[in-house]
Amino acid sequence: MRKLYVVAALLALVGLADALYLTIEHVTGQSVRCTIISGCSAVLSSPYAVVAGIPLAAIGAAAYFTVFSLAILALFGYPRVATLLRAVVITMFAISVWLIYLQAFVIREFCQYCLLSAAITVALLVVVVISRGLRG
Amino acid sequence: MKRILPFIIILVVLVAALGSAWYLTRTIPASPTLESQSSQSPSSQPPSSPGSPVAQQQKPPVVPGVPGADPPHVLGPADAPIKIEEFGDFECPPCGIFHPILEQMHTEFGDKLQITFREFPLVPTHQHALAAASAAEAAGLQGKFWEMHDLLYEHQNDWKKEFDVRPIFEGYAKQIGIDVERYKRDMNGDLVAQRIFADGKRGHSLGVKGTPTVFINGREVPFENLPAEKLRVVIQNELRSSSK
Repeated sequence: MRKLYVVAALLALVGLADALYLTIEHVTGQSVRCTIISGCSAVLSSPYAVVAGIPLAAIGAAAYFTVFSLAILALFGYPRVATLLRAVVITMFAISVWLIYLQAFVIREFCQYCLLSAAITVALLVVVVISRGLRG
Repeated sequence: MKRILPFIIILVVLVAALGSAWYLTRTIPASPTLESQSSQSPSSQPPSSPGSPVAQQQKPPVVPGVPGADPPHVLGPADAPIKIEEFGDFECPPCGIFHPILEQMHTEFGDKLQITFREFPLVPTHQHALAAASAAEAAGLQGKFWEMHDLLYEHQNDWKKEFDVRPIFEGYAKQIGIDVERYKRDMNGDLVAQRIFADGKRGHSLGVKGTPTVFINGREVPFENLPAEKLRVVIQNELRSSSK
């Protein structure tokens, strides 16, 4: 059980690094160039990359930091944190599904860092579901 | 201690995340979007001082690289003091934005500029980039490369999201008055493929990783210097140093 919170915290750290990288790309404007390895320029320069003036990647970074914090608190036995952790991860998963849909059908470009973020969210969801299963 | 340990861990991660973000945003130069081009003429632009950021960045070494497609697509006189070589992808949005900037520079500096275009289709990032490069090269075999080049960039948003671009490009071929049947044959021919491959090989030998990548007299112009007002200063500086 405790191991799963460690896994969740580590996944959240990877997600945080990924989201921070995307935020920096967005803020510094590096993403406006087309590159061999990435479709991120089209994704990060799309109108969907900003919500109320805030880069979506920065919101993602905040979400991963929240998950990390909750996983650490749950690991140390703080009560009711696990429920909150599940709610945050489920919300992030729902948003990730929407973002994958936007990349596939609206922007029609995939950004591998965004896909990595979605994969981490799926992994977090699995970990959270397992942790709940173990608790019964 | 056990009660505050999780908060210490969280605080350490928060400080590390914010610190690294702050450090990286300061060390990576901000790239203004190419839309920030200015309409100022060269005469209204104050000359840059040798210590200005644009002048300081214009010092990468000249790398000869392997030859590209021969003959290259060139605009302007061979003895022009400023030789611009652009590696472009017709489907890349920043290349589409850069297209009028380069046209503007050509108008402003006239015979002082020689512009060479090199194909650098970003496959598979851009699904139609190779077809667009082939269309331009096929038109080039009939002496109408620049006409097709201009149409592809100017109408980028009309074709980049289409499933099948061939009929659209054939329409452009008709519009510029080339033999469409020959164009269709050439599109899939070896000569066009070899030209694109040769340009790509040259790009890789010069370290090109994205588009647009622009070289002036053999030196790469940093991406952040591609907006019109900065590119103009780079060209002016190069003109000044070439006249010494």
